[in-house]
Amino acid sequence: MTGVEIVRRPARRSLLVSAVAGSVATSAAAVGSPAGALVCLAGTGVLVAGVATARHGLVDAGGLVAFLGVVFAAANGATAGPVVFGTAATVVAWDAGGNAVSLGRQLGSRVDSLRVELLHAVAGAVVGLTTALVGLVLFRLGPTRQPVTTLFVLLLAAVLLVVALNR
Amino acid sequence: MSDDVAEADGSSAAETDGSSAAETNGSGTAVQDGAPGEASAVDGSGAAELTGGVAGVEADSDSDAETGAPSEGVAEEAASATTVREMRLTPTNHWVGIAAITFLTAGLGVMTRSRPLFLAAVVGVGYLAYANATEAPDPSLAVTRSIADPDPEPGDRVRVTVRVTNAGDAILPDLRVVEQIPDALAVVDGPARTATALRPGASVTFSYTVLARRGRFAFEGIDVIARNVSGSRERVLDLATAETTLTCLPPLDATDTVPLQGLTSPYTGRVSTDSAGEGVEFASLREYQHGDAISRIDWNRYARDGALATMEFREERMATVVVLVELRRQAYLQAGEDGPHVVDRSIDATRRLFNSLIATGDRVGIAALAAADVWLPPGAGPTHQAEARHLLATHPALSPTPPSERLYVPGYLKTLLSRLDDDAQVVFVSPVPDVTSAYVARALHVRDHPVTILSPDPTRTDTPGRTLAAAERSNRLASLRRSGIRVVDWESDERLAEALERARRRWSA
Repeated sequence: MTGVEIVRRPARRSLLVSAVAGSVATSAAAVGSPAGALVCLAGTGVLVAGVATARHGLVDAGGLVAFLGVVFAAANGATAGPVVFGTAATVVAWDAGGNAVSLGRQLGSRVDSLRVELLHAVAGAVVGLTTALVGLVLFRLGPTRQPVTTLFVLLLAAVLLVVALNR
Repeated sequence: MSDDVAEADGSSAAETDGSSAAETNGSGTAVQDGAPGEASAVDGSGAAELTGGVAGVEADSDSDAETGAPSEGVAEEAASATTVREMRLTPTNHWVGIAAITFLTAGLGVMTRSRPLFLAAVVGVGYLAYANATEAPDPSLAVTRSIADPDPEPGDRVRVTVRVTNAGDAILPDLRVVEQIPDALAVVDGPARTATALRPGASVTFSYTVLARRGRFAFEGIDVIARNVSGSRERVLDLATAETTLTCLPPLDATDTVPLQGLTSPYTGRVSTDSAGEGVEFASLREYQHGDAISRIDWNRYARDGALATMEFREERMATVVVLVELRRQAYLQAGEDGPHVVDRSIDATRRLFNSLIATGDRVGIAALAAADVWLPPGAGPTHQAEARHLLATHPALSPTPPSERLYVPGYLKTLLSRLDDDAQVVFVSPVPDVTSAYVARALHVRDHPVTILSPDPTRTDTPGRTLAAAERSNRLASLRRSGIRVVDWESDERLAEALERARRRWSA
């Protein structure tokens, strides 16, 4: 008489997106410094564990640690390219993980949600890559290599945000 | 902004995984069931690649679901529009904290004069904009639900297929659908829920299997969560769909003969009475009176001493029985975690008793000790039997979920007594969960409606508390027996016929 229990966690396949994005972040950090890559790897591990057990807290913590790994790599002399793409990959991993946990909690592990998750991850990746590319291009084409330039880029991005918010 | 995102999407599909995008594109055009012109009409030229990719994935998932659903061809109804019963728009708090981390990174970049960190902060700002740019879409959905077998037998597995179509103009990037299954039905296979992304006009199909049980069940809604593409906002909706019903009538099976008490109607039937007359079983001898049938004269005695005597037999009469089934909230008890609860057993027993009494030629009625009015006056014949079958299966008060309203017992007894024929006896099907049930039985018994209690046993003795409850119930039954009421204690692992047979042997001994 009893029916199927709903297992309130993401499907196994959902781990894949976060794991892949996390590995990208790790390899980006590895270009800068091996120690940063290790931190990033640990963060990715925690993140994936958080997805597997459907705990938002673990996913957030893992994402933060992975990002710290990228920051560490930047502090140890990584160039702009790896840092920027590593950041984007970290955010994508964390975003996909959080999304997978929310899907798992709302729908259970037996729902095939890979399509929605992929769409979500791709959209996030596109945003990250676009911003990164625009930032890098402005950074290279800027008149001087002064920090003022980067501040300007940041300002421009913030203005974009305000415009978007008031739409 | 959504246009920007779509365009950017297209470029990324080309950049990041060009080969796989081309692959899905190819299969998409092959399998896609929607009009191909539709996709290109909706999206800008820049998004053509992305749209192709999405449509490909979607068509794939569609065809998967359809091959998985055997009933697809059974009932292809027109998709019906839905009405919103309740809507809530909430932030998901998914991107909370990104702003803080972004500006911390920027600050760190300034302090360490690190340009890469600055640029990382730029990426963060980009995500901030992405998170806040869009609002959760307001989905306009059409839902078609088809049930493979709308009139199953109890215990059948019934496949239900739900098709959700995006009838609006907006793309739904993250749509989560949860079917509202009637409370009493259990899903035994397949999740009754799905998650997908739907472009306008596209649809998703999911199916699941429920275990049919007695009753009439209406599928009439879905819960929907629609998120925006970044997942920062979500709209939670309770949608009413066109009603699809599943009606499950139990079969016309009966149990063995039901032992009844001596109160009968004047009509010939099968219940042996104490009154002597025509019949089969010998009762007494009396002096011959003029007009007695020759066949009933005791010729042996005449041969012995020449006196005429007439043999008398126990008369067999028809009984009028009202099966009273207890449906108060207190009776909704269950032995253990699994299996049907005791009211289900009671209703099942009522059905069997009814059918078996009808078959033996008695007049049978049905009443329920419940706040809702359940009353089928005693009667006989196939029409009456069909009426009872329908009542037992579909009356809302007999549904497997406990009632919400309380019953005023003295008022109910008054109504019941006014309805009972003078010669009606009562078979009270009740677990006797409290003294009120015992009171009802006694009240009927002392008003010349002999009561037989058929009591399905919901108790267990695995914990001290449960043992106490079992002892209390057993005391109540014992006290009822002392008042002259017949009690059949029906164990949870026993067949009804066995319990009745056990009781009959005890009573005839």
